[in-house]
Amino acid sequence: MAKHRDDQRLDLLQGTLDMLILRTLQWGAQHGHGIGQAIRSQSDDLLKVETGSLYPALHRLEKRGWLKAEWGVSEANQRAKYYRLTAAGKAQLVREQDRWSQLVDAIGRVMNPAPAGKE
Amino acid sequence: MRPHIPDSDELDDEIRGHLAISIKQRIERGEDPETARLAALKEFGNVALTRDSIRSVWRPRWIDSAEGLARDIKFALRALMRVKGMAATVVVTLALGIGANAAIFSVVRGVLLRPLVNRDEDRLLYIRQSAPGIGAENTTFSVPEIDDIKSRVTTINAFGDFSTVDFTMIGLGGEPRVVKAGVVSGSFFAVMGLRPVLGRLLNAQDDGPNAPGAAVLTHRFWTTSLGSDPGVIGKAIRLGPRSATVVGVLEPSVPYPAATEIIANVVTSPHHLGATMVTNRTHRMTELFGRLAPGATIEAARAELTSVHAALMREHPEAYSPKGDVQLHVSTLRDQIAAPARTILLVLLGAAAVVFVIACSNVANLILARSVRREGELAVRAALGAGSGALRRTLLAESLVLCGAGAALGLLLARPFVAMVSSYAARFSIRALEVRVDTSVLWVGAGLAIAAAVLLAYVPRLPSPHAPAGLGLATGGVRITPGTNRRLRLFATTQIAFSFVLLAGAGMLLATLVALQSARTGYDMRQVLAVDIPVSATGLGDPTAITFYQEATRRISTLPGVEGAAVGSFVPWRDAGSLGPGFLFTVEGYTPADGEENPRGRMRMVAPRFFDVLGVPLLAGRDFTDDDRRGTEPVVIVSQSVAQRLFPNGEAVNRHLTWTDPVFSIYGKPVPSRIVGIVADVDDENVVPEPAMTIYRPVWQMGVAGRLFVRTAGDPYALVPAVTRVVRDMSSEQPVERAATLEDVRAEVLSPERVNAFVFSGFAGIALLIAVVGVAGVLAFSVSARTREFGVRLAVGSAPRHLLTMVLSEGAAIAAIGIVAGAIGGFALASVAARFVAGVQLPGALTVAGAAVVLVAAAIVASLMPAARASRVDVLQALRSE
Repeated sequence: MAKHRDDQRLDLLQGTLDMLILRTLQWGAQHGHGIGQAIRSQSDDLLKVETGSLYPALHRLEKRGWLKAEWGVSEANQRAKYYRLTAAGKAQLVREQDRWSQLVDAIGRVMNPAPAGKE
Repeated sequence: MRPHIPDSDELDDEIRGHLAISIKQRIERGEDPETARLAALKEFGNVALTRDSIRSVWRPRWIDSAEGLARDIKFALRALMRVKGMAATVVVTLALGIGANAAIFSVVRGVLLRPLVNRDEDRLLYIRQSAPGIGAENTTFSVPEIDDIKSRVTTINAFGDFSTVDFTMIGLGGEPRVVKAGVVSGSFFAVMGLRPVLGRLLNAQDDGPNAPGAAVLTHRFWTTSLGSDPGVIGKAIRLGPRSATVVGVLEPSVPYPAATEIIANVVTSPHHLGATMVTNRTHRMTELFGRLAPGATIEAARAELTSVHAALMREHPEAYSPKGDVQLHVSTLRDQIAAPARTILLVLLGAAAVVFVIACSNVANLILARSVRREGELAVRAALGAGSGALRRTLLAESLVLCGAGAALGLLLARPFVAMVSSYAARFSIRALEVRVDTSVLWVGAGLAIAAAVLLAYVPRLPSPHAPAGLGLATGGVRITPGTNRRLRLFATTQIAFSFVLLAGAGMLLATLVALQSARTGYDMRQVLAVDIPVSATGLGDPTAITFYQEATRRISTLPGVEGAAVGSFVPWRDAGSLGPGFLFTVEGYTPADGEENPRGRMRMVAPRFFDVLGVPLLAGRDFTDDDRRGTEPVVIVSQSVAQRLFPNGEAVNRHLTWTDPVFSIYGKPVPSRIVGIVADVDDENVVPEPAMTIYRPVWQMGVAGRLFVRTAGDPYALVPAVTRVVRDMSSEQPVERAATLEDVRAEVLSPERVNAFVFSGFAGIALLIAVVGVAGVLAFSVSARTREFGVRLAVGSAPRHLLTMVLSEGAAIAAIGIVAGAIGGFALASVAARFVAGVQLPGALTVAGAAVVLVAAAIVASLMPAARASRVDVLQALRSE
């Protein structure tokens, strides 16, 4: 059972899906279904990735050389395409993580200003 | 390594795998297979859509851009369909500009730049001797001169010589006719680097007086007159008194120095074997070609030839007129052939470029005006998030559509343009006849179109995303800014300025043409028919030739409609230049001043009644009579200029005149001739008459003529068949050719000038038309944009007439500024051009004023319609319109 109702789900911010995919693959190769599930479960069901966005994103990342795809056999005994981080992909993950924490930090300062004088 | 691009099977596999995993997990959670399958599919969403978006990830970027552009172009087409008039104007204007440029460019390329077919044509030289002091551009060489040059020059290792001869040819079917022929030595074809397409060419074994006569046909003659008949090899032909065998056909090549039909060996021309030809240093009739020796440069050859030539002049001072300032010139054959056409083609190229500038600025005007009208639309799109790149792309798509259509139409026009220009340029360089529209023209057209499109896309200013578009956005109305207005005017002024330059140029050519055509020639032009009846004389004073001429004259004089007939040696203008700059002579009691040489006079052979037939008045003494024949006292008639210059006291008649030119030394000591008459000056060399020193000798004494003049009562051309029949009755092998009235002969000679004026006026006319459209467009736009202002003016009491004159004067002001700018620019252009091209002239004041008047008048006409509209503005509507 899902832990949250559909209307409580969060839409992904533009541009963050790529980062999430790279992050998920940090632990090893995975197929598309597995990546989607991993994002969902790790976000406690708050983030749901539509396959219509996931697969184009996977292929986009492969085209840019951050992922490498190879065919394997899934736990369902079914041919499945596994994606793996490349060296360039790892570097890109680091860059995106930095940018993300800067963004979060900056937005946080605006939304929760530090009390006066505490600088 | 580039990632592997998945095909659609792989995409299907991947999606199928995803679904299988999903179904399996659901079944493991306890769902029944059918529910699990439906749920998995539902969760996945639209399979086809996902597959498409994956595929679009892998699509190369350019396809997306191309699709974007295609969309933009479709949009542009729809947008342009709404403004058909404007679009058509732009397309036609550009087509004229591009077509004219493409045509002129292909002619320039074909005539000036394309290499000749001759082997190693960049090492093939043409050597020329000139005597500018006596107005001789190319005196050619004599055989002794060529022999000396051959033996002394080392930078040129092979020489070919060529002399132009008119042969009466019999054979190869058809009537006896005169052919332009060349007589060459055996080395000629090797030096020219040409090959036969059939048979063989001439070689060293064809040289000398004992070789059999051999002739090579030019490709043009073989294809046009003989229908490319391969059986022509081995046929015998008669060339004048000699005969020859056709041994080969030359490959297609540029005929030079003359458009020859037959090239024969020396033995076919008795004259070439005679003593005059071989030993007389001043008997110049041979053109000289050379091949640079290996390692030699043209500069080295020029230096060596110049010093050898200077030595020759020192060794034989009697053969080089000191007054003539004889010089030697060396150039590649290609440059020599192109030289006469160079100036005129460069001028045409300039004119075409000017037309292109005018066309572009007019199109820029129209597009600028249009973009101002659609500022509202652009502002809306900018407000909806279209980036400046996207807006620029929209404009670019539109101008690409316009320019592409213009270029396509222009290239269609280029073909007839090329035909026109090349038949025109062929008067200056024979190479123009080979010019075709080729692929390079496509590139020129495309290049011009793209240049124009990019320029035009950057003409309008984009709405600034930072400034609120305000009212414009809301109403889509026209708000003309001073900046836009200034630019519109600038373009209109540019057009006027350039049109003015072209108009003044065309005016100058027209003025020259009018002056040429209205000049008095001194001949009766309308009623005199000139006919070539070349008789192959076997020598001076050939009695059979004289008998033939006398009998022919007698029979033709009795034909009904003939008022008189006489033979002569020279058809005015048509034979110009064929006898060189004249011969030295002296008269009894005349001593040239110190350092001066004897005077030069043109020598013409005429029969009795010649002056009467041509309408040239006899001023003193008598005409030749039938008694002035061989064996009687040698007599001459002189022109008024000779009489006045050499006999200032007016006692020319009955004094004696002697030819002193070294060219006559072969005939022994010159015999003085008695002057029996003086005739009015007629200039048969120049179409604009100048005082002419001419000395006439009687045909009945000399035996040389070849031209027949018939004075008729009615239509001269009606008599041509009768005259031909009379001559053929006497000699069936006698050619009778090129019958024309003197008026038509002169018109034919003038036709380059006429065509010059015509072509240039064509350009000027196009330019004027475009400029008128431009001025009218600018004013119409300015008036429609200022409707409100006019409404206010009318409301506060301005008279409509006042508005009318205001707009008219605006048009006149544009014209005036343009004319001043054009005059200054044109003057600067002419002085720059004068540095590179010889013979640049400035038009006279009257022509300039005429061009200015035409332009101002055109501008006022163009302003009339917008002005009328301004004065009829409806006050209430104008004030309410925004």
